[in-house]
Amino acid sequence: MNLNPLLEPDWLKAIRPETILVVGGLLLILLEAFFRDTLRRLLAPLAAVILAATAWVVVGMYPWVSDAPRVFFGGTYQISVATIVFDLTFILATLLVIMLSRDYLQRENIDCGEYYALLLWGTFGMMMMAKGLELLVVVLGLETLSVCIFVLVGFHRRIPISNEASLKYFLMGAFATGFVLYGIALFYGATGSTSIPQLLVYFSQNQSAGPLLTIAFILIMAGLGFKLALAPFHGWAPDVYQGAPTPVAAWLSTAPKAATLVVLLRLFAATSPVAEQTKWMSIAAILAVLSMILGNFVAIAQRDLKRMLAYSGIAHVGYMMLAVRTVREDAVAAIALYAVTYVLMNIGAFGVISLLQKNQNDPQTLDDVAGMGFKYPFAGIALTVFMLSLAGIPGTAGFMSKFFVFKVVIDAGDIGLALIGIFTSIVSVYYYLRVVYFLYMKEGDELTPVPVRGAFATGALALAIVGVFVVGLWPMPVFDLFPLAANAIFLGH
Amino acid sequence: MTELLSNHLLSVILWLPLVGALAIALIPKRLEQQAKVAGLFVALATFVLSLGILQRFDDAEAGFQLVERSAWLPAWGVSYALGIDGISLWLTLLTTFLTPLVLLSAWNSVHKHVNSYIVAMLALEFGMIGSFLATDLLLFYVFFELMLVPMYLIIGVWGGPRRIYAAIKFFLFTIAGSLLMLVAILYLVFVIKGGSGAPTFNIVDLYGLAIPMKTQALLFFAFTLAFAIKVPLFPFHTWLPDAHVEAPTGGSIILAGVLLKLGTYGFLRFVLPFFPEATYKYAPVLAVLSVIGIIYGALVAWVQPDMKKLVAYSSVSHLGFCVLGIFAVTQTSIEGSILQMVSHGLSTGALFLLVGVIYDRRHTRMLADFGGLAKSMPVYATIFVIVALSSAGLPGLNGFVGEFLILTGSFKTLPWYAVVAASGVILAALYLLWLVQRVFFGPLDKDENKGLPDMQWNELAAVVPLLVFIVWIGVYPNTFLKKMEPSVRQLLTTVEDHHAAIGKLAVTEPDAPAANPVDGVSR
Repeated sequence: MNLNPLLEPDWLKAIRPETILVVGGLLLILLEAFFRDTLRRLLAPLAAVILAATAWVVVGMYPWVSDAPRVFFGGTYQISVATIVFDLTFILATLLVIMLSRDYLQRENIDCGEYYALLLWGTFGMMMMAKGLELLVVVLGLETLSVCIFVLVGFHRRIPISNEASLKYFLMGAFATGFVLYGIALFYGATGSTSIPQLLVYFSQNQSAGPLLTIAFILIMAGLGFKLALAPFHGWAPDVYQGAPTPVAAWLSTAPKAATLVVLLRLFAATSPVAEQTKWMSIAAILAVLSMILGNFVAIAQRDLKRMLAYSGIAHVGYMMLAVRTVREDAVAAIALYAVTYVLMNIGAFGVISLLQKNQNDPQTLDDVAGMGFKYPFAGIALTVFMLSLAGIPGTAGFMSKFFVFKVVIDAGDIGLALIGIFTSIVSVYYYLRVVYFLYMKEGDELTPVPVRGAFATGALALAIVGVFVVGLWPMPVFDLFPLAANAIFLGH
Repeated sequence: MTELLSNHLLSVILWLPLVGALAIALIPKRLEQQAKVAGLFVALATFVLSLGILQRFDDAEAGFQLVERSAWLPAWGVSYALGIDGISLWLTLLTTFLTPLVLLSAWNSVHKHVNSYIVAMLALEFGMIGSFLATDLLLFYVFFELMLVPMYLIIGVWGGPRRIYAAIKFFLFTIAGSLLMLVAILYLVFVIKGGSGAPTFNIVDLYGLAIPMKTQALLFFAFTLAFAIKVPLFPFHTWLPDAHVEAPTGGSIILAGVLLKLGTYGFLRFVLPFFPEATYKYAPVLAVLSVIGIIYGALVAWVQPDMKKLVAYSSVSHLGFCVLGIFAVTQTSIEGSILQMVSHGLSTGALFLLVGVIYDRRHTRMLADFGGLAKSMPVYATIFVIVALSSAGLPGLNGFVGEFLILTGSFKTLPWYAVVAASGVILAALYLLWLVQRVFFGPLDKDENKGLPDMQWNELAAVVPLLVFIVWIGVYPNTFLKKMEPSVRQLLTTVEDHHAAIGKLAVTEPDAPAANPVDGVSR
């Protein structure tokens, strides 16, 4: 007999990964406070171990939910195959970033426990977003994540552009969250609920949505679009990526986007009964098209690598949105695959940039990698692989994911959108290839910075390269999970 | 080992260059000589193994042989499927044959990043072999695009002064076409799934399907654009002269010898059998473009002051013949077209090689800088003249056979085009003899040209095998034709049967305006 209707019997088991992350983060801070000098070198490995433990627990949940998703806390928190897949994506992203950060932070002399703790707590926030069936739980996750990002972006305390980036992200992020909350409030006003399953019930029964709901939808899209750096809510991305410590930019540009896309998938699925009537998916399509065009064309003009990756990220979110807005079951799989891919290749690309030893207040430009390909073969090959993957060249994960997205879009009958996607892809090939051109076909000079090699960073890059090829050549094992994952997102309420 | 070779011969031939490339990538930079030897060894081993295909190839069989198939992405109906038939046989062998020659020719002419050059060449060979052997549409696409990366690097790193422009132009042109084709592939598979249930990317399953004419036309043009850029067909040829002129000798040989053939191969393997209706309907469009290409390429070649550019434009002209032969859709013209692809690979490959030889000595390719070389480099001159004549279509050498078959075959279905195209043969003789005249004959009046050393061992070793086949094809083409005949016949049956079936269908449909879409082509 359960006395408290809000707590299901297994609730402690359900939030084990979150517990490990939160407690682990606290432990890191405490250890650093008390044993600052002795343990400092161990902080990053310890954070990695905490993440590995989390991953182990997450994987261990698979048999528990493989038949059907489980719901906790009064129908607000879902554990399912889908959330396991996305949890692992977040963990992978954070793990790669921690490995990249260690050498970087030591070199920049900002190595401390809070940094790793914030990464772990941010991961916790993303997990909450992906698992929330209740829009308020999603906002809690979103805010947890955002607070961590505010601090991490400004982690270069003594560097002006880092502080500027942090403030920018904070101000705009606060507005974005405001929009989301306002939108949720309007949803509540119109439908009497903020729970995604109940929204689905409402829309199925009423088959109608007034202008108030459209405004609510637009507000939520604007707020989440900010997190995704979806055009026209992308303005912050280039400045923030440029100012943030490079590993933070790597993290910020990948994992939070994946978490936000899960929320959008759930929300779009819930509103799908009225999709015909409301044209909300057309709004999503417009945002996607705008992102692909703007991201890819403006990226051409960038010489700063981090800004270029920011615009390329805007374009990639556009591609992902194309799949999300179809609200097809295989879109879940496509997004999951794209998210993993994007984590591997984008963190990898930022990772190579983070190796460049130079004043972090200066931009890292194309000239900084000139001639690197033949001089530093590992860094050169790594950056080449990530660029080719971002460009979607076959054999790499980037191709497989893009192919999957376009397949979903074409199967949904949106040939026009697929063609726009393809044309902008052709444009993108140009600026990704330009990096390869600088790597191998230009000579550097004595001012060209030397990429630093540390064991951890090298390991992270090697892991990302292997991942890019494994996902690109043999994604089938992952595919087998996807029908289950789709059920969890669309039916398992 | 023998078990591996007997069951997975094609896989071994496909993967050996890549494995070799990865191994050579690990050789330290300073051991250049060792890397060269290792690269040559890998390429030769691949060639020797590919001869095993000939030994086991059944001349009477029309379909794919030595087939290998295992699931790759079963949820989408994609498999790792290899096979070889009369259409791809000679092109595959051409690839494995040219690669060692290219490595030989580069022995003393590539000076920087030698190891990486060899790695790129072998990776390129992997992509080319894969494209010819793949019998799965997505697998083909993967190899087709994968090739671009090593070629981009070869042009961009080891090329001439404007190499960056040429490399990026090459990449963007090709990928623009192929990405559009990717949409078409997905749409094709989507349409098929609507018809029969399970998705499939297996090429043979996609042959001769009844696709509505409107859809077929769109898909036809998307595929055709991708291959037309690759061939390149007029007016999509502008990347080719740039790429050829800037590429290092080895890059040019492979580009002309094999890469361009992927366009014409794509027409034969995909466009004709996938979209027979559209093929008949739009054959005249393609024929017009190829005839323009033949004449235009020849005329532009004639006025080039640069030897390499001349040869590059002659490629536009020669490949126009191949496309004309394909879209004439007759047994003779298609066989001629395939033979011409191989011939062009040998002759033009040899021409680029020979231009490279003189460029290494003089660091110029301008016709005006030469004259009377026959006196200072007699062996070189003799070989050059033979190759130039073969390219010009002198009877008894390879170029003649292919062009003759194409023209005879095309005459049945596209008579007027064939007549105009025939003048391209005359023009070819003109510009090639003009080239020979200005470079080798006349007075030896420039001091720099007087003491030039004749061909070196590695250059001779690279060019003599080419000469053997140039003569062989010219004298006894039947060795080559008899192996492709059944496959070409089957291809035509697929195209014609389907076409006939649709033709009948159109008659029974009252609102179909044209009862017989063949009208466009007087058959």
